[in-house]
Amino acid sequence: MVVTTSQTVVVAGGSLAGHTVVAELARRGFAGDVVWVRGPEGTAPYSRPALSKELIQGKVTSDDIRLPGLEAHGLRLRVVDHAVCARLDPDDDRVLVTPAPGAAGEPSDGDWIPFDALFVCTGTRARLPEAFAGLPNVHCLRTLADAERIRERLSGRPRTVVVGAGLVGSEMAASLRSCGLPVELVVQGRLPMDAVFGEDLGRFCLERHHAHGVTTRLLTTVTGLSASEPDGPVVLTFDDGEQTSADLVVLGLGAVTACEWLRGSGLDVSDGLGCDEALRTARPNVFAAGDVANWRHPVFGHRMRVEHWSNASAQARHAVESWWAGLEGREPPPFAEVPYFWSDQYGLKYQMVGHARGHDEVSVERTGADGYPFVTYFREGRVVAAAGVNAPRAVMRMKARIQSEATTIQGAYAG
Amino acid sequence: MKVTVDRTLCDGNGVCMGIAPDVFDVDDDLNLHIVDEIPDDPVIRAQVRQSITSCPVLALSLEE
Repeated sequence: MVVTTSQTVVVAGGSLAGHTVVAELARRGFAGDVVWVRGPEGTAPYSRPALSKELIQGKVTSDDIRLPGLEAHGLRLRVVDHAVCARLDPDDDRVLVTPAPGAAGEPSDGDWIPFDALFVCTGTRARLPEAFAGLPNVHCLRTLADAERIRERLSGRPRTVVVGAGLVGSEMAASLRSCGLPVELVVQGRLPMDAVFGEDLGRFCLERHHAHGVTTRLLTTVTGLSASEPDGPVVLTFDDGEQTSADLVVLGLGAVTACEWLRGSGLDVSDGLGCDEALRTARPNVFAAGDVANWRHPVFGHRMRVEHWSNASAQARHAVESWWAGLEGREPPPFAEVPYFWSDQYGLKYQMVGHARGHDEVSVERTGADGYPFVTYFREGRVVAAAGVNAPRAVMRMKARIQSEATTIQGAYAG
Repeated sequence: MKVTVDRTLCDGNGVCMGIAPDVFDVDDDLNLHIVDEIPDDPVIRAQVRQSITSCPVLALSLEE
């Protein structure tokens, strides 16, 4: 075995991908030191999908969604909380670890930690335009603290406006409406979730919001947020000049990758952290996993980042395998897992496998007694994605098909 | 090897089914079904362990 007790692995990021890297090192019996820099949140890792679903609806508490502890695995593990990786030395294998902004304790310039391998799992943060920041009744939803702040406001039954109707915005609108709040949903595009789902499921999603009493504004962008008293109602101004007032505003404006700390390190951070098919970056002992990883997907033949739960854990395991394979002189396999996500809205389960971006054709069937739409997405005649509502078997069957069609195509080129 | 599910937690999100389709099956009413006998196959058993640690609602547990 090439792995020795004198080796140090640094894991940057305290959510699912970082957690899974540490768990995978433990599972493999890694005997060196692991320094786990868990980031600014100062919390143990938790299940993020639950925030906009069960947690916001009060069905579970923060304790219920903690990921299992890793202390019992016999790892030489040092957990560093309220701290971030602030810099990667361009010439040496070492990272600067500093206290997170706002962390308690003495101000510090931080410590340089040398590593034999670095796993970058710093993920994304909620996109918050500067002009929208600083109002107490305006919230993003990314962290447990965000969700708890929103949750604290719900007992007053605030009139709520959700801005943005992607996965988080649409799901938050549904969860808050299910809590009995009056909800308005501001949709930048023509339909909610249309950037992921396209026309048919987007329209279905819109109809569900309307059936449950959510009002919507379509093709609308918020241009300003203001409040005459610091903790008072928020006035939203839209691009058509209209205004509305809300007691609570939830922003679902997407996410930005948290990898600015890698600028100047020699790595490609133009959209997340660029890596090869095996999740290796341009530096041979630096790997990426989770939302931040931008890799060329061998099944779809182009680069992508995937901001979903299943991807984070699967990539984390794979990144460790890539490192391990290199130590053992093996060529690491490409990361070829087909993306998957789900969304809970009004008791319905939306599920999608594959990657629909760039699709040029869809076929729409009706499934189940209720005739929910089931959409198959094609690109150049090949199935690239499928999505449905309360149809897990049909969706998962397509996963195998997406993978195998692609494998056949790859096989045809291999010879 | 035996897998148990806490049905008060399971929400039928299908993550386990995506990882280990030979063992987990979620029906269209979102109820999870687990095969009685998990095949004695190292690949499938690795998938089962991954499914347990990947469950976003922490509903699965393993009895070796």
